[in-house]
Amino acid sequence: MKASFFANMKISRKLVAVFLATSLIAMGVNIFIYFNLNQALDKINSVFASNISLNELSDTLNKIHTGLTGYLETKGTDDLELYYASEQRMHMQMRSLNSSVSDNGVRLAERDMYNMLETYLKTADEAVLAKRGRNIDEYIEKYNECSRIKDYLNTYIYSVNNEQFKTNSENYMALINSLRYTEIMSVLIFAVASVMNVLLIIILTSTITRPLTRLSAKADEISQGSPENVEPLEVYSEDEVGKVTRAFNEMLASIKDYIARIRTQLITQSEMKEKNLLMETHLKDAQLKYLQSQINPHFLFNTLNAGAQLAMMEGADRTVEYIRNMADFFRYNVKKSSETVKLSEEIELVDSYMYILNVRYAGEILFEKDIDESLLGVMVPSMIIQPLVENSIKYGIKDLEPGEGKVTLSVYREDKMCCIRVSDNGIGTDEEIIEKIMNHEKKPSETRGVGITNVMSRLDLYYNNKEVFEMKSRKNEGTHVTIKIPLEDANV
Amino acid sequence: MEKMRVSRNRIMVTILAGIVLVLFFATVAGLIYYRGMIRSLGKVQEEASVVYPRLYAYIAEDPDSQLSKRIYKEITEYAQENGCYVEMTGQNLTKTYSKADRINIAISSKVDGIILEGDNSEETSALCKKAMDNGIPVVTVMSDCEESSRTSFVNLNNVDLGKEYGRQLAKLRGEKGTISLKAVILLDNDTKNSDDTVYRSIMAYLNGSTISLSSYTVDTSTPFATEENIMKKLDELDRQNNIPDVIICLNDRTTESTIQCIVEKNLVGKTTVLGYYDSEPILKSIEKGSVYATFAVEANTIAKQCINTLNEYNDTGNVSNYMTAGFIKIDKTNVATYDPEGDRNEG
Repeated sequence: MKASFFANMKISRKLVAVFLATSLIAMGVNIFIYFNLNQALDKINSVFASNISLNELSDTLNKIHTGLTGYLETKGTDDLELYYASEQRMHMQMRSLNSSVSDNGVRLAERDMYNMLETYLKTADEAVLAKRGRNIDEYIEKYNECSRIKDYLNTYIYSVNNEQFKTNSENYMALINSLRYTEIMSVLIFAVASVMNVLLIIILTSTITRPLTRLSAKADEISQGSPENVEPLEVYSEDEVGKVTRAFNEMLASIKDYIARIRTQLITQSEMKEKNLLMETHLKDAQLKYLQSQINPHFLFNTLNAGAQLAMMEGADRTVEYIRNMADFFRYNVKKSSETVKLSEEIELVDSYMYILNVRYAGEILFEKDIDESLLGVMVPSMIIQPLVENSIKYGIKDLEPGEGKVTLSVYREDKMCCIRVSDNGIGTDEEIIEKIMNHEKKPSETRGVGITNVMSRLDLYYNNKEVFEMKSRKNEGTHVTIKIPLEDANV
Repeated sequence: MEKMRVSRNRIMVTILAGIVLVLFFATVAGLIYYRGMIRSLGKVQEEASVVYPRLYAYIAEDPDSQLSKRIYKEITEYAQENGCYVEMTGQNLTKTYSKADRINIAISSKVDGIILEGDNSEETSALCKKAMDNGIPVVTVMSDCEESSRTSFVNLNNVDLGKEYGRQLAKLRGEKGTISLKAVILLDNDTKNSDDTVYRSIMAYLNGSTISLSSYTVDTSTPFATEENIMKKLDELDRQNNIPDVIICLNDRTTESTIQCIVEKNLVGKTTVLGYYDSEPILKSIEKGSVYATFAVEANTIAKQCINTLNEYNDTGNVSNYMTAGFIKIDKTNVATYDPEGDRNEG
């Protein structure tokens, strides 16, 4: 929870938190050591305090005695004031002395001093009183007693001072030695805390910089190419780096998607090109077939036109009609061979063809049309009906008696389809051949003319392999070929 | 690869975090130990001491003598066992005070009792009176302060001691097989009381015998004078060809100094010593033969009597004003088995 809280913090805050934490630790340790060291120094300073207080005691005693001596000598008020002030101070200072019996030499000496001071002060007071009462013998005696006790006290103070100085010096040395240990200890603690802080900084800053390093490594990987193989980065935090990582991942996904789309586009484009090339090939193939099998149409038109004009001049109307039909038929072939055309034009071509054939065969072939005129504007690839009609005549009804052969062209609408059917009443086509034709296994030379295979191939290419071609036949009942053009593709 | 790196980083971070945790605890433990160290600094100054309800002062004639130190040791031990403390007043000071000053110090420092090695000087008597006037009981020990109003006297029965010295002289004469025996007694010029008593007792014992006893006062006023004085006297006697058969010493310092002098003057065999006290050099000298016999004070008995008397006086206000303590004779027959520290049981 805490880790994720830290991970989601802003980088600036993270850095502040890291340095604040380590600084606080260092400061805490420093304050702790400083506070304790100060305490130790205070203790060391207090070592000689007893010597100082003893010296003060001696000073005060000497002042009392000076005051007492002065007062007893001259009865001076200044001396008496000095005496009383010093006496008061002495009472204060005596509080620090031990007054109980102890087996400790110094404390016992303090107790002796305390009692001797009491005796001294009492005797001094008595001396002052005796002076006031002018009892000379008594105050001299008391004064002598005071002098004696003062001498004892000074000796005691000096001795205890010496003794305490000795003890205090030993304590001082012990304290100083201990202080050296504490110094080493504090240096050790500080060193450990510093190492800890450094490690803490390493850990915490690495949590900040590690995602950046990973991000830069990923960027390197992408710059070396093939970004589609680069895996997206995992997002561990919600800080700035986390946001950048997320954006980076989205960018990576976009690049991958873009690359995939371009690839698909390229594939489609190349497929289209291939298809166009195939179409062109088939058309050229058909055209070649016509060119090979027929005379140069331009020469033919000109000759036919000359023939028609001749026939007209001779008044042979039927000949004129025949020659015109022929001319139309070949012109159509030359003109429309590479385009899509209206269904009506295709039908006109078939009409011309049938007229020519009927002139040739002296009206032996019966041709019937059943046309839904609303479909005449449907656009279809050129040269798709005439080859079928040609096929029916060539293979379907060729063996019938003259006048019996019949070819029917029907154009009708069925389920949003424009159906073009060419049927005959001929001998029919073998199932085997139909199957071969439908599976495109039959070479054009083997089939019933140029027609069906070429038409089928072009229709396949034009309508993207949609099942638009259908061929049905029964023995001696003729053959029915149907082209079903989807009306949405037909650009009506 | 990426996942592997991430997991390796995690392991590293975990290890570092572990180290940080260990270091953190080390720091905390160090700080606690450090605090303990700082606190223990102050304890150096405070020495354990026992508080007692009563304080008695012990004032010896010669605080540096072994006998005084021994008695003080016994008194202190017994006192502590009985809930009071004894201070050898004037000791451990930068100045050496006279006995009178030491009594004065004891009085002005308001002790609960004084154990005093008495003498018959007026000054001591006056100070005893001053102490008593201040409500401080005074018990004299070893030698009395007859003129004073002291509370009690723990006597060493010096008369008996004198008799015993006399008995030893007679025994020596018997051992030597001579008719007469010359003896010299070395008296301390400080203590007029006890030495005189012993001397008188010996004289009384020897009265009518063929043993002659002459006395010589040794100056013990300064620490170095004793040995010099004895040597001087021996030189003098040597010059007169009058080295005594026996030298009687009545304190430890005189005894030890005499032993040293007769060894130095190569008089071992010509003369012998009847000593006083049971210090190690004296006991060794008995074993070697330079000392014939010595008399040790029943220090523990003295200690008991002094402390009990003062405690009883402070508790009830009434005590017996005279008590005695004995001596132990040490010679060749018992020196090997004698234990100076064990004389408590014998007393």
